[in-house]
Amino acid sequence: MNTLNKNILSTLLLSTLFIMVLSSCEKDSVQTLPQRDWQLVWSDEFNGNAGVLPDAAKWKFDIGTGNSGWGNQELQFYTNRSENVSLDGSGNLVITALKESYSGSAFTSARIKTQGLFSPTYGKIEARIKTPFGPGIWPAFWMLGANVETAGWPACGEIDIMEIKGHQPHITYGSLHGPGYSGGNPITKAYGLQNSRFDADFHVFGIEWSENQIDFFVDGYLYNRVFSTDTPGAWAFNHSFFLILNIAVGGNFVGFPTDGTAFPQKMYIDYVRVYKAI
Amino acid sequence: MKNIFTNKILISALSFSLFLAAGCQKEMDELKPAEFPKNPEVFIDDFSSGLNYAAFGNSDVMAFQVDNKETYSGTKSMRFEVPDYGSPAGAYAGGAFFTSVGRNLKGYTALTFWIKASQAANIDVLGFGNYLGDNMYEVSVSGVAVNTNWKKVVIPIPDPSKLSAERGMFFYSEGPENGKGYTFWIDEVKFENLGTVTFQSASILNGETRNIVSFVGLNQTIDGLKATFSLPNGIIQDVNLTPHYFTFSSTSQTVATVNNVGKVSTVGAGAAQIKATLGGKNALGALSINSLGVFSPAPTPTVNPSKVISLFSDAYTNVPVDYYNGYWAPYQTTGSADFVVNNDHVLNYTNFNFVGMQTSAPTVDAKSMSHLHMDIYIPGTLQAGAKFNIQILDFGANGTYGGGDDVMHETSVSAPTLKGQEWVRLDLPFSSMTNLTTRSHIGQIIFIGTNISNFYADNIYFYNDGSIIPAVPESAAPAPSHSAASVFSIFSDAYNNLTGTDFNPYWGQNTVVSQIPISGNNTLKYANLNYQGTQLGANIDVSTYAYLHIDYYSANSSLLKIFMISPGPVEVAYSLPVPTGIGTNTNGWKSIDIPLSSFAPVNLGSIFQFKIEGNGDIYFDNIYFRK
Repeated sequence: MNTLNKNILSTLLLSTLFIMVLSSCEKDSVQTLPQRDWQLVWSDEFNGNAGVLPDAAKWKFDIGTGNSGWGNQELQFYTNRSENVSLDGSGNLVITALKESYSGSAFTSARIKTQGLFSPTYGKIEARIKTPFGPGIWPAFWMLGANVETAGWPACGEIDIMEIKGHQPHITYGSLHGPGYSGGNPITKAYGLQNSRFDADFHVFGIEWSENQIDFFVDGYLYNRVFSTDTPGAWAFNHSFFLILNIAVGGNFVGFPTDGTAFPQKMYIDYVRVYKAI
Repeated sequence: MKNIFTNKILISALSFSLFLAAGCQKEMDELKPAEFPKNPEVFIDDFSSGLNYAAFGNSDVMAFQVDNKETYSGTKSMRFEVPDYGSPAGAYAGGAFFTSVGRNLKGYTALTFWIKASQAANIDVLGFGNYLGDNMYEVSVSGVAVNTNWKKVVIPIPDPSKLSAERGMFFYSEGPENGKGYTFWIDEVKFENLGTVTFQSASILNGETRNIVSFVGLNQTIDGLKATFSLPNGIIQDVNLTPHYFTFSSTSQTVATVNNVGKVSTVGAGAAQIKATLGGKNALGALSINSLGVFSPAPTPTVNPSKVISLFSDAYTNVPVDYYNGYWAPYQTTGSADFVVNNDHVLNYTNFNFVGMQTSAPTVDAKSMSHLHMDIYIPGTLQAGAKFNIQILDFGANGTYGGGDDVMHETSVSAPTLKGQEWVRLDLPFSSMTNLTTRSHIGQIIFIGTNISNFYADNIYFYNDGSIIPAVPESAAPAPSHSAASVFSIFSDAYNNLTGTDFNPYWGQNTVVSQIPISGNNTLKYANLNYQGTQLGANIDVSTYAYLHIDYYSANSSLLKIFMISPGPVEVAYSLPVPTGIGTNTNGWKSIDIPLSSFAPVNLGSIFQFKIEGNGDIYFDNIYFRK
């Protein structure tokens, strides 16, 4: 975590709002943001005994291979086995991608979601995560519009709070998918660590989401701000969304795993917290 | 580019940001006391300060050249021309770039460079830490894939804190690909402090926990050393490294100690575990030692080496053995953890179900051997139902496995012969191995265990207890010890013999009689015996003598009788055991003293003939009466 402030490499879309001080030597870049107050409305700290599945009152599982690898030609079979998803007894949820033959797939992993259990509209949504890595590994902390089953994708909207291509383990992507800007053409911004990687330690990935505006953060650092006027198609984010955590293996976003990909790959989630603005 | 790592700020896709990136690397040099230089550059556009090059032995000494055409960046690169197979210039391209004064590389995490080649290839070894000296901190990667595009190679430093005065900056070794030489280029060789190289794991013993039984005086070396990193592109990279990077420890110094290069010495009885750390991180793998204390070696064999064909013993010269463990897939579980204590080599079969040793090149001709001997030691208490079976397989006349002429006998040993926690000497006579109808081409010995998980073996040899003798005696009959005064001699070099005796009167026999010297001793030979008479030089009175002494020798007779004859004729037979050879010190000769009373009612006052009946080839000596 400490390395971030020292090694920030960021992209600022709206530099008028910020003062970026990049002085010589050891000085860090600093952001000054207006103070906002938040009230915690939902969280999972993932405290519990090792091997226990995540709280069924908060999370559901996606099982199987979905439709065409969950729409992305992904290679894994999602399960609700503790080998793929369970608490580690040290305050983390661990999603584990395994290389194993399982129901016709070459890999297994897990994808959990709050669909039907908790679907906030607006607020601050963040998770503290240590990510997996390696070619073909695609971890994500993201959201889908709660109306996905009626409106369909991408009309329902998709907010990707964290997505990492495992072959670039120092870069995270924050993205918005909606009608006319989905799939390979989302509104997206990359945020890279200089001389470190997201799997080297925990980092907090979050958004601050309000009507017609979404800000993307890593470790409290704002690296992308999107207004409803910035999307080429309709703004699809002024309704409730549910949360998703997963590791995909393979797929269009990241490509195939290679001989150089280490398995198992684990994503450690210290917490997921949702706040509302007060 | 060279100073980028000192500036903590970098760029991105951002269209406008303000960067103020002033150099600030001076302060270190100005404030710290002098120490080894920290220069990270090895070869950027030429040899860096103090860098030397030397080609490895037997390599093409001209393989490396500075190239000013093909570069990744700047004006020059390093070019390496790998020779063709069989090139008179050298068998491979290889050499080291090193400095005469060490460099302090503690501040870096990896050696990096760019590489391209004239064709796709896998380069055998690339690394650093080799300066043609003791190379304590040598690190390398193997089989580096290259192709015709420039590609960045990152070789992580397993523990930078070790490199306070490193002289080995870079080395390489590469042979022809498919017999053909080719060229590769390397550029921008430097050490970097990359936060994007992450340590994953270190391992000893290939990351496994190896359980061994040990004894005082036994040594092992911790091998299977490896460190694994994730490179900036997320790919896993194993690096080879020396034991000097690791810190080894023993959980019990009174049982086993380990030195700084992973040499383990068992010093006492008990349990100990040898572990290691790399840069303060626990390495995977451990050596679990169960020391039984002082080793009791198998009894030293005493059989004369001339009567032994040894397969495994320090007491004898062993014949060629293909292997002592064939690892016969798929059903064999038996492993080998052979050891040497005080120069005594011991076979140690672990996880035992069955195991075979093979002597196929050449097979063993054991027809002049009488027994298989082996010493086995089963650690721990013998389990109920424990059984140790020994199969001896003869490959038959064709000398190779199969072909329909193989024969095999299986001998089973169990309690009370079989014991735990002590050496058990097994002496298995071929005469009891009824299914082993030939033993001239012995090719395999197979051990099969029931309820025996582990055993040691030593002194595995065939030997002759004396019962198997050559067709012709190799030494003379034993020298007689009776005083001349007590002897009436018929045939002996040791005494004055009765004169006039005809040793080959013609009585219609087939036997061919001759007298031949054996080791300078005149010996009477009966070839192709059916019967054979002896006409004494006179009718003799032996009534004052007690015994007829005869030394005789036969490797092939199955029937032998001697007749004492007095006029009448009165004749009585006495059977002589054949074949001879029982007893290890008579070289196959048998000495017998027949009480003359056995020949009653022959008239001992007037003996005039002997007769021998039987078969085979017989040698006689020292035929005399004694008191």
